[in-house]
Order: sequence, then C-alpha cells, then structure tokens
Amino acid sequence: MTTTMARKTEKNTARKPSQPHVRLHWRIRLRRDKSLVIMTIPAVVLLLVFNYAPLFGLITAFQYYDPLVGVWHSPWAGLEQFTTLVQDSLFWGALKNTLYLSLVQLILFFPIPIALALLLNTVLSERLRNLIQSIVYLPHFFSWVLTITIFQQMLGGAGVLNQFLRQHGAGTWDIMTNSNTFALLVTSQAVWKEAGWGIIVFLAALAAIDTHLYEAAAVDGAGRWRRMWHITLPGMRGVIVLLLVLRLGNALTVGFEQLLLQRVAVGHNAADVLDTFSFYYGIATNNYSYGAAAGLFKSVISLLLIWGANKLAHFFGEDGLYRR
Amino acid sequence: MTSDMNRRTLLSTAAAVAGTVAMAPLLSACGDGGQSTGGASTKKGLKTALPSFAPNSSLKPDIPSVAGGADIATDPGFLTYPAQQARTVDGVPGKGGSYTAVTPLWGTVPSPSNSFYQAMNKALGVDLKIKPTDGNNYLTIIPTMTSAKKLPDWLQLPAWWNSGFNTGGLAGTQLADLTPYLAGDKIKKYPNLAAIPSGAWQAGSWGNKIYGIPSYSSSCVVAGTTFYRRDILDAKGITADQITSAADLFALGKELTDAKRGVWAFDDVWTYLFPFWGVPNKWKVENGKLINKYETPEFLDALDWHYKLAKSGSMHPDALAGQEASASTRFYSGKVLISGGGTGAWNLTDQQSGSAANKDYRRGAFDVFAADGTSRPSLFLGNSTGVISYLNRGLGKDQIEELLAVADYLAAPYGSAEYTMVNFGVEGVHHTMVKGVPTFTDAGKKYVQPQTYSFLASCPQVVSNPGADQVTRDFTAWQAANVKYLYKPVFWNMNISLPASLATADAAQSVEDTIKDCCHGKQKVSDVQAAIAAWKSSGTRLKNWLTTNVLEKYGTGQ
Repeated sequence: MTTTMARKTEKNTARKPSQPHVRLHWRIRLRRDKSLVIMTIPAVVLLLVFNYAPLFGLITAFQYYDPLVGVWHSPWAGLEQFTTLVQDSLFWGALKNTLYLSLVQLILFFPIPIALALLLNTVLSERLRNLIQSIVYLPHFFSWVLTITIFQQMLGGAGVLNQFLRQHGAGTWDIMTNSNTFALLVTSQAVWKEAGWGIIVFLAALAAIDTHLYEAAAVDGAGRWRRMWHITLPGMRGVIVLLLVLRLGNALTVGFEQLLLQRVAVGHNAADVLDTFSFYYGIATNNYSYGAAAGLFKSVISLLLIWGANKLAHFFGEDGLYRR
Repeated sequence: MTSDMNRRTLLSTAAAVAGTVAMAPLLSACGDGGQSTGGASTKKGLKTALPSFAPNSSLKPDIPSVAGGADIATDPGFLTYPAQQARTVDGVPGKGGSYTAVTPLWGTVPSPSNSFYQAMNKALGVDLKIKPTDGNNYLTIIPTMTSAKKLPDWLQLPAWWNSGFNTGGLAGTQLADLTPYLAGDKIKKYPNLAAIPSGAWQAGSWGNKIYGIPSYSSSCVVAGTTFYRRDILDAKGITADQITSAADLFALGKELTDAKRGVWAFDDVWTYLFPFWGVPNKWKVENGKLINKYETPEFLDALDWHYKLAKSGSMHPDALAGQEASASTRFYSGKVLISGGGTGAWNLTDQQSGSAANKDYRRGAFDVFAADGTSRPSLFLGNSTGVISYLNRGLGKDQIEELLAVADYLAAPYGSAEYTMVNFGVEGVHHTMVKGVPTFTDAGKKYVQPQTYSFLASCPQVVSNPGADQVTRDFTAWQAANVKYLYKPVFWNMNISLPASLATADAAQSVEDTIKDCCHGKQKVSDVQAAIAAWKSSGTRLKNWLTTNVLEKYGTGQ
C-alpha cells in the first residue's frame, strides 16, 4: 500500500501539468472497469436515496411550508423567503460571523495538524509515538457538550481558574462570555478537540514518502530543515491542497453544536452563524421555509467556493477533488 | 407517587419543548393569509357548543380547591391515595369495536400486546391498538400521517403545535367535530368528561366547534414562578413575605451572594419574573386597541431591572453563560438560592433529588408581588391544557360515541377504580399497595409507568406526592395564596389561525434573543429598544391582522 502510494506520489510529482490526457471511449472504459462500476452501485444508490432524493425538500424554500399539510399542499411563496432573507440584517450578521470564524480557523487551526504530524514524524520511539497519538486523538471522541462543559468548568466565571483568582483576591478573567474574543475561544476549543484527529491524513501522506529520498538527500549533505523543505513538504503538498479545497468548500460550515451551546454565553450577535441562523430563525420558530431558504443560499455559495478552490488547485497543477 | 411524578416529568419535558406554551395563545399558521377552516371561536358562539361543567364530587380531597376569578381555581391536594377506590363508570364502556390510537411517549415504548394493554382492552371493552411514539420525534412522524390523510382513529396533537402548524386546517377535514356529542348537557352522558373545566374544552375548539378532548387540564395553569431555597433562607431568618417589591428582591440578592464561597443568589429569573412588573404575556387591550408587551413602559422597566441584576454580581456566572442544563444541580447544591422555573418542578422527584444533596432541602416560591411594591399584584393565567386528543373524521356516529365512552373511563377522577386501572394497572400484576400507595411491580414499571392512555384523556390535575406531604402542602398553599392575583390574558385559550407570513413577526425571535442577551448583561436596554424598532413594521402588520381578524370578530376571549 505504502509503495503504491509512494509510486503514485512520484508519478504525480513527475507529471507535467500541460501533459495531454488520452481519453478512451466511455464504452471501452466501461467494459474495462465493469467490475469496479458494479461494486460502486450500492454506494451510488445510497447516495441517491439519502443525499440526492432529499434535495426535493428544497422546494420548501419557495413555500410557506406547513408540516401538517405536507409539501404538496403548502402554499406557494415564490421568492418571498429569499427577499426577506436578503433584507434581514441578522442574516448578514450571521454570514459575516461565519466568514470571520472560518478565516480565523483557517489561519489558526489548519496549520496545527500539519505541524503536529511533522513533529510526531520525528519521534523515533514507536511506543512513545503511539502514546502521543492516542492522547491527542482522544478529545475527538468527546461530544461538544462535554468539551464545552470542561472548558466552562475550568475557565468559566465559576470555574477552577476564576474561583482560584477570586479566592486569592485577584480579578476574574472573562474567557467564556467575552464576545470580543469568541473567535479565539471557538478556535482553541476546535484545536483542543480536533487537531489530534486531523493529523491522521497527514501522517498517511508522510508515510507515503519514499524513505530513500531522505537517505539520498542526507548523503548529499541536506540537513533536517532542507529535507523537510525539499522532500517532506512537497510530498504532503497534494494532501494539503486537497484538504484546503475541502476546507474552502466548507468555509460556511464552522460548527453548529459548538456555537449553539455557547450562543447565550456571548450573545446571538457574536455567535450566530448561518447554521444557527437557519435553526433559530427557521426551525425553532416553526418557519421552516425561511430556514430552508437560508440553507439553500449557503449551499449555493459553498458550491461556488468549492468549484473556485478546485479550479485554483488545478491551476497550481494539483489534482484537487478530481484529476482533470 | 412514582407514576404521578413520571407524568409530571413528561409534561415538564413537553413544556420545555414547547417553551412558553402556557403563556401563548393557541396560534396556528394557515399559510395563505386567509382564515383556515378551523379559526378562532367567539365567546358567544362557543356558549352553545361548550360542554356543561359538572365537577366530580365523589372524592373529597385533603386540601380542597380554592376559587379565584371566573374559571380560575387551584388544583385540589391529596395527601394520601384514596383508600376506597370508588367506581365512576358502570360496566364496560366499549362495545367491542376495534380502533387505532397514536400518542407521544417520552420514554421507552412498551411492547405491543403486553399484559397491561390486554387488561386495559378488557376493562374498556374495545380492541384499542395503541401506538405510543417517541415524543422527541413526534413532530416528524405525525405530518407524514396528516399529509397522507391517513390518521389513526384517535390521535394526540399537542396544543403547542398550534403556534406553528395548521392544526385548525385539520379540524373538520380530518378531525371529527364532537360538538353534536358533547355540547351543553349532552356531555352529562359522560360524567367524567363533564368534570373537565370549560377552559380546557375551549382550548380544543375551532370555529365555535369542539374537536379536542383535553388531558391534564387545570384551572390554575401558571407557566412558572420564582423559586428559592426555603431551607437555607429560613435558616437565615428570611421569609418570602418579606419580599414585596423588586427592590427587596434585588437587595436580597446582594445579601445572599458570597462569590468567594461559590454561592450566588440568582439563576435566570426573567421568564417567570417579568409579569411582576404588570407586563402582559403578549398582548393587552387598552381602549379597544391591541398593545404588544414590547410597547409597554413596564416591559422596559422589567428589562432594566434584569440588566442591572446581571451586572450586579448576584447572578451565577454559569447562568450568565447560558448553562441551563446544570441549573437544577446549582439549585440542589445550594450554589444558587433563587431560580425561575416551571411549577411542574414542585414535586416528589424534585424533593428526592434535593434531599440527596442536602437532607433539609425544601423548595419555596415567592408570592406574586408588584415590582413597585405598591400596585396590585397580577399574573396572567396559562392555557387550560397543552395536551389534546382528536378523533378521526372518518369514524361513524356509533364509533365516536363508543370512543367518547372510553375517554370517559380514561378521565375518571383521581383515586377512583378506573384511575387506578389506567395509571397503575391491575393490582398484584402491575402494582401492589404499599402503605396505602399503589407501587409498581417490575411489570408495572415496564408497561404502565410509561404513560400512554392519559394522553388520550385524563382527569383534571391534582397535587399529590404521597410520602412527601410537605411538598403537596407547600405547592397547594402557594396556589391558594396567589390564585386571587391570576387573570385571563387576552386571547386566552383561543385558537387563532395566523397567516404563515406573520409567523416570524409573531415569534419575534430577534427581539427575544436580544432580551436574553440584555438579561445576561451582554446588551443594553437600548439595544432591545433598537431590536423592537426593527421588529415594529412586521409587528404592526401582525397587530393589524389580529385586530381585524380576531379582536374585532371574536373578542379577547377573557
């Protein structure tokens, strides 16, 4: 497996972006890949039933949807939900918060798993590496409720830190309810919970790099930093770009539960993102159609973002989501 | 009583889901801006349709009901389970018909055809195929039936749904009109149903017709109150009657807070305390005109007090951080001494949980007072029920009469033979009498404790906590002391079909969010005023619609 991936990486690195593809006729490809296609049918059916068929529900964004009478009998609203949406300052506030949180997380969160993977890769003792891996993976399995409760118990107004400060006559430190630093709080929670889990993909990419390259570089006199710069990072580039493309495509998804749980703590102006907006101003007020309109808006923008990011990846000669 | 507590737990869960169900009129969106078939009812129109009220006098409560204003009275209290379980239904109510029923259940769904269901079918004389359905997903299951027009014969539709869905549209199209069977004295054929207060029947009426059969009805529905740790305050020599104004309460907060010891006076109190400023639940009528609570100066005064409270340091930091799930833990552990909450919290389970943390635990509640300390205190009444069942319109006359007879059995008064059967099952199989109290056996815990039948019909609420008499005495005493301050709010128990285009204005989520932020010290009163100003254009449309389509046509419902 490792050898195959290594070969693939070498091949990818070696391939020139301008090299033309020779595409076989689809019938020939179908005959060639028949068994593979048959194997994918269950997954395709699953996708159709659970991912594509529910798209029909988007029609509710153009209705005054009433669950008791169903989609067929709910009155038609045309574009009214969207008209109201674009005039709603809370919606634009939620969009702004979403983009801001996304940017902060991209800058502060995204590089951390890469750095962790590189650090972990330098640990020679397998036992120690396994131990560290287990410890950093663990928070991923905690629910957001538990994670935020831990943060609240430790850093909240009545938590361990502030109670210690209070009992020693020092001023308290408002961490959990400060709307100005909320983006940092949310990102630090995400790092605590998910950074360890995020290293898995990068470790796999590191494992795919041919160790002979390091040996050859070392023989040529390359130091640790030069080996990282000229071998490790280029070897990981494909995966980093792929994850970056996916991250950009998901730029408007910055967490739901995490923000829902802390919305009251910092106020809705700071914590509302597109997903919580759909929930509070759609589902929670029984205005499903309004929530669906906000959701559809988000999906369209996300689609454009992922398309743009993929184009960018192709432009830089990477595969992105698929090979051109 | 375990079962009683279980039911309360379910109801408080339901109320939590419903939010302030008891505080809101029963609104229903009808989508296209026009009235749906099931619109509001007028007082005059309902007069001929409403069933006569004939309270049951066969059982004498230990603590009798205390009357307040018209249609307002406290729930009677029972300190012991009646030893003589009187029969209130002659023979078997059913005639062997076969029916299906769907109810919500917040708990483990019992297996079908279990020994309790079989015993109930025998007692009822029908083959009632009851299908309790997960309460948390009830909202996703029922629409599939209603939109396919394939309802069971008997169906429970929570009244709090009316605020978002077109329940009124189902009335008369899919749900049976019960007026011909129950109007006026016709209900006397079903004496246990006749003991359900008129207000509850009104909550199940649409367009001057009776459609719903109420469960868990009460003439003293108060959404919630401001509780305090009575054991701790008593020990400090502080009694509730010393608190007669908002200023007193604020000062008490300062006195009780000891942050270094990790004790704060207040948890969240806004939801149930703001009415003490004379703020209406949603609307009030002055000189024949509707006025929203947001437009009243009292509302801003109440907000200002709560903002100052949040900034005073008397509120627990976790409450300010919106950690609602741990509110009861803070209260039980004495980290918080004053907390708002639904009156359903005043029960045996609460006493047991509190006592586990502190053996002296005792819950108390402040009496209703006027914030300024001088005006007459007042508190709006909630809707008389939130749990209403309906019969399928496709049923024939005989079938409807048979099911109403079954409902009459299910609504038998507290402590009667029928009540014991419905709530505790068969003695020796599902329960045994321990110190005069029906106590579930293992089979009872499995099949009877997850209550189902009472969601189809049940007797009016009583207060009963065998083994915790103090709880029953405290709760009934609080009701008795405050019943005189209760008043029927505008649109009380009225089912209003609201156009879906006004649903956002009615929910006023942006204003409510800002209110919450203000009560947690995150935003100022002026921010709430700005949110109200932004809401005002849609709020005015809502007000105009309600004035034209409800107030002028149907009155205030008071």
